[in-house]
Amino acid sequence: MSEAALEFKPSAGFSVGVELELQILNSRDYDLARDAADLIGLLEKAPPPGAVKPEITESMVELNSSIHGGHDTLVAELRTIRDAVTQAAQRLNVRIAGGGSHPFHMWTDRRIYPTERFNRLLSLYGYLAKQFTIFGQHVHIGCPDGDAAIYLTHILSRYVPHFIALSASSPFQQGEDTAYQSSRLNTVSAFPLSGQIPFVHSWKEFLEYFEKMRGYGIVESMKDFYWDIRPKPEYGTVEIRVFDTPLTVERAALLAAYAQSLARHVLTDRPLAPSRDVYVLYNHNRFQACRFGLEGTIVDAYAQRQASLKDDILETLAVVAPHATELGNGEALALLRAEVIAGRTDASWLRGVHREHGSLNDVARVQSDLWMGRTAIPA
Amino acid sequence: MTQLSFLPPFPFPASPLVLFGLLLLAGVVGGEIVRRTLGLPRIVGYVLIGLALGSSGLNVVDAGLVREAWIFVDIALGLILFELGRRLDFAWFRRDPWLAATGVLESALAFVCVFLALLYFEVKPLYAALAAAIGIATSPAVLVVVVQELKAEGQVTERALSLTAINSVIAFVSSTMLLSWLHHEYRASWATVVLHPVYLLAGSLALGYLAAMAAMALARWLGKTERGHLVVSIALIVVTVGAARTLELSVVLALLAFGALARNLDERHDLMPVDVGWFGQLFVVVLFVVSGASLKAGALVTGGALALVYVLARFAGKSLAVMGLTYFSGARGGTAGLLCLALTPMSATSVGMVHRTAQLYPDFGATLAAIVLSAVLIMELAGPVAVQFALRRAGEAARAA
Repeated sequence: MSEAALEFKPSAGFSVGVELELQILNSRDYDLARDAADLIGLLEKAPPPGAVKPEITESMVELNSSIHGGHDTLVAELRTIRDAVTQAAQRLNVRIAGGGSHPFHMWTDRRIYPTERFNRLLSLYGYLAKQFTIFGQHVHIGCPDGDAAIYLTHILSRYVPHFIALSASSPFQQGEDTAYQSSRLNTVSAFPLSGQIPFVHSWKEFLEYFEKMRGYGIVESMKDFYWDIRPKPEYGTVEIRVFDTPLTVERAALLAAYAQSLARHVLTDRPLAPSRDVYVLYNHNRFQACRFGLEGTIVDAYAQRQASLKDDILETLAVVAPHATELGNGEALALLRAEVIAGRTDASWLRGVHREHGSLNDVARVQSDLWMGRTAIPA
Repeated sequence: MTQLSFLPPFPFPASPLVLFGLLLLAGVVGGEIVRRTLGLPRIVGYVLIGLALGSSGLNVVDAGLVREAWIFVDIALGLILFELGRRLDFAWFRRDPWLAATGVLESALAFVCVFLALLYFEVKPLYAALAAAIGIATSPAVLVVVVQELKAEGQVTERALSLTAINSVIAFVSSTMLLSWLHHEYRASWATVVLHPVYLLAGSLALGYLAAMAAMALARWLGKTERGHLVVSIALIVVTVGAARTLELSVVLALLAFGALARNLDERHDLMPVDVGWFGQLFVVVLFVVSGASLKAGALVTGGALALVYVLARFAGKSLAVMGLTYFSGARGGTAGLLCLALTPMSATSVGMVHRTAQLYPDFGATLAAIVLSAVLIMELAGPVAVQFALRRAGEAARAA
């Protein structure tokens, strides 16, 4: 089975798909609830487009979009899914929220969703499995072949700080302000198989690496690698996993449009060659993005100099603009650009809500109001 | 003799503090023995130790001490009903009308089934109706406490709590009205018959409303401090319980209204969600020990067989409605069956009412108290076990009780 799984299934170039891990909150004190099975069961009676799946703990649910050519159909579908999920949640008197972390839940209260795989993860990783109750957005970009996927993975690694800073929405963890814009990725880093793809240059070389790891009994499938970006051969995609789940599906679609436009630029223009320096500087840059968001300072491995993360993103937006237009993502990226210039992120919005209301219960409440479309972010 | 005048008089006057502490210790020991030897919820142990110490057993905790301890029982009930009220979300009933419908229908069918069953066994209609009305309510105390002990969370838990809030109110209203009717049978004036239920209902609701308004205003003034809001909530709960007693209103209805209104009228979300359960657990132990002590095992001899009929008819009525309507609420398969079990506990608060009625109308006491009290006795012991089983089987319990 795993032999076949690692055959890279080509897919339509630059197609895009999104997975969103979401929070299920109770309506009483807005702590995480445990109603994933009921919610999924109810949605099975009238399935929305895409797919709704369980995640590692009973407080999480994962929504998958279908495959899209660009931003507009993606955001339309995500809205349809959101409305269906919101409606089902309301019948069960639970709430759904975006955001990379729940502001005040205690990981000791979490319960593993009872499937064979999740129970295995709990027995292997112990408390880390429960701490893994964090919420990410995964963006899949279609690739024509395995070699292209390896190339895209290496080049996108340079842009990982962009994805982190743009999506950052986990300033609070376990009832505390972490001082980070995205605290979620610190939790991911604790896993032994997190990190980055090894510096291989072709799908063939990657397969050799994978077979070696499997031969040692370290992994069974690609699922066991918790890399920031990983090839997904069975979908024929490269999967970017560093995004915090944004507070709205609209923001999720903007981020997907950015990744898609950037990937089109990388695969058609081939502007850069994979560089080991990207990985030498990787953890520094990633930390800067997590800690300071758009205000972070990264080191550009190719230009060999420091750069403001905000400026770097704005420059990249300008470079990929023609590709965005080709894909029909022009307006979306213009909107994203305005947000970056204004310095608006989900993390700063959440901190603003906390200042205004004074309690993290209120943050979680307003956070879920926002995702379910009951309130809007004031411009 | 005068040299020893500093010594306290003997026998010692009853000290509420010593009584509270000792009842607490007795409950803890009883609860732990039951949990270790039988694996049952601690509540069962509290009740059993109460039965053993009460008039049915050693008579250490006699009727006089039970009256002394009543203040602690009231505080416990106040905390529990406030908590139940806080969990009541009116918006949920709008979004899922089937849930509200289930609450009304299961109350109605429980009443009808018990009423008909008792009629069949030739109980006088008015008495049968009053007994049936008492049976409408699920015990908020048993359900809330087992939920807290198990840290249970999920659809069975939340639905059982909401249904219990509904059936508690319906039980209160219908038994109050029937009591008035009973007064009339015994030639009370029409003014009493009409005004007493109105006073009870409106007064209790108004008291709950005032408490809720005070809680929100104080919370707004304090700002978001968890400790402050906790103290304000507890203080107002105690005040409301005391006021309800003084004004001879319903503690149950006033506190339920306080909790529910403090949540559902708080549009600005001024009052933080506070956890009074931790504070309440001390009083809860005493509540169940005293409940056990005030039950009369002897009643089983006279009322046992009919009590069994009563319990079964009540279960049948509730289950019929829950099994019939829960599907429309979009709940998972299996939820309905477990909900039926979770709704079985019977309220010991009805004991007080039965006693009072029995005092007023000795005829009633002779014919019916035995049945209702036996049923309560059975359900005080079986109820917690049923709730624990249901919540565990639903996968909603976070830990062993």
